[in-house]
Amino acid sequence: MNPYRRSLFIKIATVLVYAFLYTPILVLIVFAFNSSRTNVLFGGFITQFGPLIMDGSTVVQSPCGPFHWFCELGKNAEVMNATKNTLTIAIISTLSSVVIGTMAALALQRYNFKLKAFSQLSLYIPIVIPEIVMGIGILVLFSQVFTFLNGAFNLAGDSRLTLGLPTVIVSHIAFSVPFVTLVVQARLQGFDKSYEEAAMDLGANELTTFWRVTFPMILPGVLSGGLLAFTLSLDDFVITFFTTGPGSTTLPIYVYGLLRRIITPQVNALSAVWVLVIFSIVLLIQRLQSRTA
Amino acid sequence: MKNNLWKLLAVTMVASLLLAACGGGGADTGGGEKVTSSGFVCPEPEVQMDVTSTELNLFVWTEYIPTEWKECFELVYGVTINHDEYSSNEEMYAKLSAGGATYDLVQPTDYIVALMIRQGLLQKLDQTKLPMASFNPNYLNLSFDPGNEYTIPYQAGADAIIYNADTVATPPTSYADLWNPDYAGRMVFLDDSRVIIGMTLLTLGYDVNTKDPAQLEEAKNKLAELVPGVKLFDSDSPKTALIAGDVDLGITWTGEAFTANQENPAFTFVYPTEGTILWQDNWAMPTGAPHADAAYAWISYTMQGNMFWLMLRDFPYINPSQAALDYAKDNQTELFDAYMNSTITNMPAEAIAAGHYIEDVGDATPLYDQIWTEIKGGE
Amino acid sequence: MLKRLRENKSSQGTLLISPTLVFMVGLLIIPLILTLIISFGKRSPDGNVIYTFGLHNYIRILGISTDCPGGQAVCFDPLYANILWRSLSLAFNSTVLVISLAYPLAYFIARAHPIKRNTFLFMVLVPLWTNFVIRVYAWMMLLRTQGVINSVLGWLAGLVGLPFTPLEMLYTPGAVLVGMVYEFLPFMILPIFTSLEKIDNSLYEAAADLGANPIRTFFRVTLPLSMPGVVAGTILVFIPVMGTFIVSDLLGGKQVILIGNLIQRQFLDARDPTFGSAASLILMAMTLIVTFFYTRKFGFGEEIVAA
Repeated sequence: MNPYRRSLFIKIATVLVYAFLYTPILVLIVFAFNSSRTNVLFGGFITQFGPLIMDGSTVVQSPCGPFHWFCELGKNAEVMNATKNTLTIAIISTLSSVVIGTMAALALQRYNFKLKAFSQLSLYIPIVIPEIVMGIGILVLFSQVFTFLNGAFNLAGDSRLTLGLPTVIVSHIAFSVPFVTLVVQARLQGFDKSYEEAAMDLGANELTTFWRVTFPMILPGVLSGGLLAFTLSLDDFVITFFTTGPGSTTLPIYVYGLLRRIITPQVNALSAVWVLVIFSIVLLIQRLQSRTA
Repeated sequence: MKNNLWKLLAVTMVASLLLAACGGGGADTGGGEKVTSSGFVCPEPEVQMDVTSTELNLFVWTEYIPTEWKECFELVYGVTINHDEYSSNEEMYAKLSAGGATYDLVQPTDYIVALMIRQGLLQKLDQTKLPMASFNPNYLNLSFDPGNEYTIPYQAGADAIIYNADTVATPPTSYADLWNPDYAGRMVFLDDSRVIIGMTLLTLGYDVNTKDPAQLEEAKNKLAELVPGVKLFDSDSPKTALIAGDVDLGITWTGEAFTANQENPAFTFVYPTEGTILWQDNWAMPTGAPHADAAYAWISYTMQGNMFWLMLRDFPYINPSQAALDYAKDNQTELFDAYMNSTITNMPAEAIAAGHYIEDVGDATPLYDQIWTEIKGGE
Repeated sequence: MLKRLRENKSSQGTLLISPTLVFMVGLLIIPLILTLIISFGKRSPDGNVIYTFGLHNYIRILGISTDCPGGQAVCFDPLYANILWRSLSLAFNSTVLVISLAYPLAYFIARAHPIKRNTFLFMVLVPLWTNFVIRVYAWMMLLRTQGVINSVLGWLAGLVGLPFTPLEMLYTPGAVLVGMVYEFLPFMILPIFTSLEKIDNSLYEAAADLGANPIRTFFRVTLPLSMPGVVAGTILVFIPVMGTFIVSDLLGGKQVILIGNLIQRQFLDARDPTFGSAASLILMAMTLIVTFFYTRKFGFGEEIVAA
């Protein structure tokens, strides 16, 4: 019997659900070519190449033709800066929370220590707390601490402690660690210790055992946690808004603010670029895999 | 499986970094002239100020500053501008009052200015460094900041009624007209408790800033009749629903009305007979601003007639700067005429005189919010 | 000292958990305690906190009021209870719909060829990496009166020669539900996939050999074994939906207030952090209670996220 056989019902349902998932994305991409700047209704494609001509709020002609908004995106220093910040924050906070979270998961699954119950419980807080409470709470905390430290060490001018990328990164780590911990913990549950015992019997010390045996086996959990942390960080608005400082605006803040006024097709262009880049990577990897298989 | 995830994660991150790295943008500098990337020639500062700071931290409304201003200021004074944005006064206030943020300039709207002054969040301005003479005196010395000790005007506007003349058979002329059953299910309102409760109070003949619980109760009951007929509340971009045809009329503000009218000339902005709700955005300097010198230079430079006129081009609001209008009259006649010919931007004097400003109501604030919750909380 | 560290397992554990504790205690527990203290306080005229001890905020949320229209001593004002109930129903309905849509897809992927499995999984994740709010806006473009769906339907009707009045889809509770389901679907697909993936193919063969038809196999074998994934997914969906209000605001036209709106507004518009803090704590307590009973009944989800 073919182990990969699935019923027709399942197949149809799958197609429908994927269609459901991707229809809005397709709409987003198509509207990235919208000739209407107000981007409320679709005004058609820009067909003429040449110097910029606008008719009211419709782009009639553009040096980039239908790709007008993609070109505008490339010239938009603010979006690029925001994207850079967002990625920096996401990458650093993801890597940190993966390390911290994995350590925590190991501690909670394998060891007994005094603050164990307390730690396990405290990890649930970021999941249930409303974002604005966390955002304002952290802001108040930082500002009190900074005021104190600035005064105590007589810091002034540019050496003053202030809000910025580091404060955002720290708050992102705070809400990511619990997710990573829970995921890795799940992977550690029902973990077959006989592999580790075998390695130790063969003479490996604890560190080597961990690195060569344990870690590879929990790696899927670690990676999933990392992916989750990355996704959460990319999209965060409320907490980032309160903990960010001058010059460290992120993409969600920029986009969310922009959506309040006028969502030009530039934002669509940005989404389109992201989706297409990631899609190409996924397909590329699938190609490589099927070759080695 | 795990190897692939590893690779994928790594490649995604690298690709994203590459994407971020290829970011262009930036001003070109022509020969001796300073020109922005859009070809705008930066004028010389009329008052050259002494600036030692290398940065300027702006905390402003989204989409409210022409890009040329930032590029020119950076070219002329060599100061890097850090531009953070917010979309509501409350967000800005919450962030500033919780502390920790070090901004040099913010743009509070009238009603929150008095509150910020009381809380010690704003510092007094040195008027000798500011172009006070360039303003139309009607926008100075208003009740929220007598003598302009803490603020200078930026842009003004109104929250009035907009309707699509093609689809609305009997046009409204007052806030009270909105209760017409013909309009049910066809309206967009601002999601602003003070404005909506305020306009209801006006229809009952009460003060828009009343603290009287009995009057507020009456307003609540009257508003409760109307709310089920409101299709959506939107303080972000009400023009979207109007342009898209989801609604035919509603309450919106100056800039939105102008843009809607540009898209479709059938959209008409009317100032209600009870007196329109007016507002004014202002520049203010937070206490502890680290780069005050750069801040004064910025205001002085951007408020010049030959710079401030860009607001007419980019953001259609009521412009309180006489200098900007004078400059536009002589040098940008098309823009000037468009501005003066529209009652949206060139608000008639009678309408302004009959207008009302929203003020902070202190301990009655939760009462207004409670009413708002009850109105929207009911089914 | 290092030697003692190697010997003493308890200190090793403490060392491993210490960075986490620093973050949790520093950035979360301290603000949480602050929130608790503030919830008992009174609001100053300008919106600051007067630190005192009073239960007035909690009494207000529970709706116990002495200001009774009928003249009784104490009566119940359902205002906040309604808001909480509305949020709970939306979360519940969304979760049920999400499970129904996620399960078939997760099943399909779990039983796909291993090499293709990754691709299918990442296709589920890719939409998540566009911005949350933009995805909601995409739905607005789809559901508008003159939006994509109505335009397509109108064109089709034109082809066939039928008259067509555009459907009113946006700014309805249905739109809010669709938006919620859309945003949180991937978070349910992944955990269900993980548990399904662990089911050995031989189990299906065994069931077939013993004479079970596909439906029986599903209810007796597949579903029970996939429960941990369903539970995990429910936690990942139900809790955020309780707190999210952007979807309801944009797709529902801000006609209704959910508990998330209420709390946000207390801190921003109403400038009443005392009431906002009390409401937040009540929301958190409710969420924890619901999660507790749910995991008690169905078991704690072991696979919170896929690998």
